[in-house]
Amino acid sequence: MAVRVVKVDREAIVKSAGPFSVRAILVGLSITARHFFRNLWGFIVGKPTVATIMYPEEDVVKPPAFRGMPVLVEMDSGKERCVACGLCEWACPVDCISITPDETEDAIERYPKVFDIDMGRCMYCGLCEEACPEEAIVMSDRVEIAAFSRAGTLWHKDDLLVPVDRLARRLEHVRRGYER
Amino acid sequence: MSDGGAGQKFENPVTITIDGREIVAEQGAMLLQVALDNGIEIPHYCYHPKLSIDGSCRMCQVKTGAPKLAIACNTPVTDGMEVDTKSDDVAKARRGVMELLLINHPLDCPICDQAGECYLQDYSYGYGRDDARTSSPRRKGMKRHPIGPRVVFDQERCILCRRCVRFTSEISKTDELRVFGMGDHSHIGTAPGVPLENDYSINTADICPVGALLSSDFHHKRRVWFLEETQSVCPSCSKGCNVKLGMFKNEIQRLVPRRNDDVNETWMCDHGRLNYAFAQDETRVKAPIVRGETSNGATPIVSSDEALAAAADRIKVTLDAYGASAIGVLGSGALTNEELFHLASLARDSIGTPNLDVIVPKGEADGFLIQAEKVANGRGAREMGVVPGEGGKDVAGMLTAAAAGEIKLLYVVGSSALAEVADTELLDEALEKIETLILQDTNTAPWSDKATVVLPGHVWAEKDGTFTNHEGRVQRIRRAMNPVEFSYCDGGMFTRLAALLSGKDASGARFDARATLAEIAEKVAGYEGMSFERIGSLGVRLGDAAPPPEPAEPEEGAAPAEPA
Repeated sequence: MAVRVVKVDREAIVKSAGPFSVRAILVGLSITARHFFRNLWGFIVGKPTVATIMYPEEDVVKPPAFRGMPVLVEMDSGKERCVACGLCEWACPVDCISITPDETEDAIERYPKVFDIDMGRCMYCGLCEEACPEEAIVMSDRVEIAAFSRAGTLWHKDDLLVPVDRLARRLEHVRRGYER
Repeated sequence: MSDGGAGQKFENPVTITIDGREIVAEQGAMLLQVALDNGIEIPHYCYHPKLSIDGSCRMCQVKTGAPKLAIACNTPVTDGMEVDTKSDDVAKARRGVMELLLINHPLDCPICDQAGECYLQDYSYGYGRDDARTSSPRRKGMKRHPIGPRVVFDQERCILCRRCVRFTSEISKTDELRVFGMGDHSHIGTAPGVPLENDYSINTADICPVGALLSSDFHHKRRVWFLEETQSVCPSCSKGCNVKLGMFKNEIQRLVPRRNDDVNETWMCDHGRLNYAFAQDETRVKAPIVRGETSNGATPIVSSDEALAAAADRIKVTLDAYGASAIGVLGSGALTNEELFHLASLARDSIGTPNLDVIVPKGEADGFLIQAEKVANGRGAREMGVVPGEGGKDVAGMLTAAAAGEIKLLYVVGSSALAEVADTELLDEALEKIETLILQDTNTAPWSDKATVVLPGHVWAEKDGTFTNHEGRVQRIRRAMNPVEFSYCDGGMFTRLAALLSGKDASGARFDARATLAEIAEKVAGYEGMSFERIGSLGVRLGDAAPPPEPAEPEEGAAPAEPA
């Protein structure tokens, strides 16, 4: 492959700009001003032209295939869909999931008394989601897992529960992806 | 392993061919058992080697040359029989059986405790269909019905193999379980008002090939594929049933019996199976404690070395002031042979007292597995010499002497068992009168606060060693749990205490179970030739471990086993 080599004579450019380079400053300012007024107009008419997102006030809508941190599906009853079968715990290659099952009087007799995910270890592979027979653990679009201590990276069941309707896109993607 | 060849002897040998492989077997033996003995897998549900033959599941059908497929579990082998376990019609028959079994079986696997050790799961993957051809709803039945105090029954999951029914009629002989109803309506159950509560009831959960009968103790506790299993021996009586300890994160989750035809076949009693909480509950003694005049009532927690030094110091003071006969040593039948050997040597040689005995709680025997001695190693203790010496006192004698003020120092290993062997008033009086009480306990006893020194002991699951059961079978126990931190094992306490008493440096007095067993093999009658390798996983009867330098002995009747 032919490579085009552009020789830049920097010294000549610097000399031609003169000692204070007023022209370069003006060119730069004009570019800034052009963008400023175009955006200002865009905001006024309701059609912003910039790609910048006002994070953290605003968030990107991630595609359903995005694998953020794994979360537990919370049913409409407010309970987890998980039955503590332990398959995600077994599938996890980094052993970041630990579950303690227990018995309830509900129709589904088994539930996770403790469901901990160590996000300090999770590698976002999604094998837990693939292993789950109940569609109870899915990869969410959540990525904010920073914490001030190691204990803060350990997510417990109550922190992990996300209502099912907020995970609808991902659940649909999972069903399609694993041909369920 | 044994290919019907040199190792095995048959009275009427016949030669059969299974899948092209020639096998020598005993005339009349059942084909399924012959195949299993030779490592050939034939799927089966209702057949169990220790129960009568039922022939109800039809899963073990094979081609034997008869016009129809035959069930291998009930087909005696005959000379020249040619068996095909892999042909297409056998596979088709198995697929049909699997499909029928699964028509009404619930899709419960995620919440079923049997998942992971379920024959239905395994054979469904191995021999079943990929899909269901029925669309009608599955039949509903009783879920998690407490069929007995220790067993949970799930009717939907039952495949009616009748193993449990045969167990209660043939092994426990209590006849609680029956098949009720006919044909499609048959179901397992108990007569009204008759719970499944015999002493062996949880064995029905073991032999259940599916998740219909489950141990309520293990119910929803842990997935079986997370358990690390260690081969060990049950510590709850002198039968010494072979067990597997299911461990998870350094906690015992369950005990299940391990097959040993010479001891417990494949069974164990419910009491032994459920008696493991003491190994990990909050009553465990976790650190050494020394109480003294200076401690003004507080209980300082010290290092094991300091506690041992304090104990040795108290023993020396008592020896100087009153002589050796004022000291009593009580051993525990829960210790291993190796530890008891050192305890006997500590009491005899280092302390020099004849007052030495083992605490053996007695209970009822039932003529099957449950034995009267409620500790695993009472016989081993007596054989290791943990018995009263010349003019020495036994347990009751020592307590009486302590109450009378003659014995000033008691060194008790495993003192919790004292409550079961001694009269309460005598015990209270003895412990009140005693000057120095040194305890080496796994669990806190009611009188622990009266002890001058408390040393943490290790439970059976924390140590390697051997037990000798009631009929003189030496069996191996293996470490399954990490022991209590910051303490020596029981044997280490004895060797270090002996070193301290003789004025030596205790740090060199390490306890080595393997080396101690070698020493026992040299010094104790009946233990000749014993080593961990010789004992293996199934144990060796006393006297049967022939010493290595005599290889020329004929195999049978050479060394007559020492009777109990």
